Amino acid sequence: MVTREDIENIALLSKLFVDEKDLDSLTEEMQKIVSFADTINNVEVKTGEFDNINNLSNAFRADEVKPSLPSTEILKNAPEQAEDHFLVRKRA
Amino acid sequence: MKYELVAGFETHVELSTNTKIFCSCTTAFGGEPNTHCCPVCIGLPGTLPKLNEKVVEYAIMAGLATNCEIAEIAKMDRKNYCYPDLPKAYQISQYDKPLCEHGYIQLSNGRRIRILRIHIEEDAGKLIHNHGDTYVDYNRGGVPLIEIVTEPDFRSIDEAKEYVERLQQIMRYIGVSDCRMQEGSMRCDVNISVRPEGSEKLGTRTEIKNMNSITNIAKAMEYEYERQCDLIESGGAVVQETLRYDDATGTTSSMRSKEDAHDYRYFREPDLVTINVPRERVREIEARLPELPEQKYQRYTEEYEIPEKDAALLTKYRSISEYFDKAIEGLKSPKTASNFIIGQIFRRLETEADKEAFDVKTTAEQLNEMCKLLEGGKLKNNLAKKTLEQMLDTGKPVTEFISESDMAGLDDATLTEYCQNAINAMPAAVADYKNGKEKALMAVLGNVMKQSRGRADAGAVTKKLKELIG
Repeated sequence: MVTREDIENIALLSKLFVDEKDLDSLTEEMQKIVSFADTINNVEVKTGEFDNINNLSNAFRADEVKPSLPSTEILKNAPEQAEDHFLVRKRA
Repeated sequence: MKYELVAGFETHVELSTNTKIFCSCTTAFGGEPNTHCCPVCIGLPGTLPKLNEKVVEYAIMAGLATNCEIAEIAKMDRKNYCYPDLPKAYQISQYDKPLCEHGYIQLSNGRRIRILRIHIEEDAGKLIHNHGDTYVDYNRGGVPLIEIVTEPDFRSIDEAKEYVERLQQIMRYIGVSDCRMQEGSMRCDVNISVRPEGSEKLGTRTEIKNMNSITNIAKAMEYEYERQCDLIESGGAVVQETLRYDDATGTTSSMRSKEDAHDYRYFREPDLVTINVPRERVREIEARLPELPEQKYQRYTEEYEIPEKDAALLTKYRSISEYFDKAIEGLKSPKTASNFIIGQIFRRLETEADKEAFDVKTTAEQLNEMCKLLEGGKLKNNLAKKTLEQMLDTGKPVTEFISESDMAGLDDATLTEYCQNAINAMPAAVADYKNGKEKALMAVLGNVMKQSRGRADAGAVTKKLKELIG
């Protein structure tokens, strides 16, 4: 069962602000989502461990260095930057 | 009441691969900020990680070298937490199917520290805090790590120190990491609790982070042990929390309280496929592992009868033991070479870094040649030290410093002449010897050695003197 406390905790971990008045409806919605996922959990699997749909494994890469991007490109989408670093401001 | 210390270690070791764990950016230390980055390691949407094969291989090597079982099937998981050092807001790690499990490291007191698991994961970026603002450099983000987790098997600080040293030594021997604590390529977190001596129940533990040397680990553990004991003695209780060790004050302080204890919401990393480790692959890696320090130590002490203390010094760094192994090829007594290395060569290597680099002018082959001449009696014992010093100064072979007549020793006529001279010069000593004072002959022998400038063989001189004195 999903509880109001679960929703509060998830909001905290996700760094989301949730209004007190929305808690009940969110709890109910989350319960529906979890129930839907339970349907999958209830499927009986007979052939050992289900892995991935293509049954792929060991997709490796050789340990060879390729050029990185210049820092100007890396920092292009940074909301803020300073001295070639991403800048994270202290929250007021 | 007396309290027993109980501790466990979580050690992060940076693997010395060329590239990061999930992309082809370099892992080189340092570099201008954010220049070893690409869309994968800064977590841009739509990018796909691809696992570096070498990371798996190195982790398996580390597992085998610490007596672990290697998993047949392993997988990667996401560990979610929101902090600026992780651009994706999750770290790709391993949760319930790590690559290696159930190993151990043997300590010199006979106790085994059990290793619960070794898993692979990506390192986070570097944060520089400045007046409340944070500057982020992602060069280190995505560098491959192994995390080695032990059971709470430590009962003393000495055991903890030895474990860290051994771990460092093993990882360096097999070449998977340089394990430099100061540069952060090896980082230890310690879980520590205390309990009344004799009690089986574990006490509440705290976790200490942020220790960058073995000395600091010992200091932090010492402080935390005392703090917990005092707390309990005064009727308080230990609170489970994460502590930071402050080197400047030698104290620990709380990093975060239990209220925001992390819920990492681990789940399988959907962008990476299963890791399959066929048994023949494990055998193939095992076959390539170099001889480990523990095995070398055994060979040195048991086969060569080298004293334990010396064997520990010889095996401390792979460079030294490899030098020694080459220097003793074909020698009757490997101890000779060991004594030269630990005595004369070590004197020239002041710091631990010097010893590890083992940059000496005399090659192992040259030392070997010298030891062979010594064993064959061509180089006299009392000349050996001086000759080695000359060799170490110049890097020239032993043959440069001993003449052909030295090599040949003294002919009988010269030996007889020197002995007669000595007998004539020291009548008192000769008389003493004749009266049964065996030791008096040593003085006469010394005189002969002096005349021969050390070239004479002590055994031959003694025989000759006895013969002449009659």
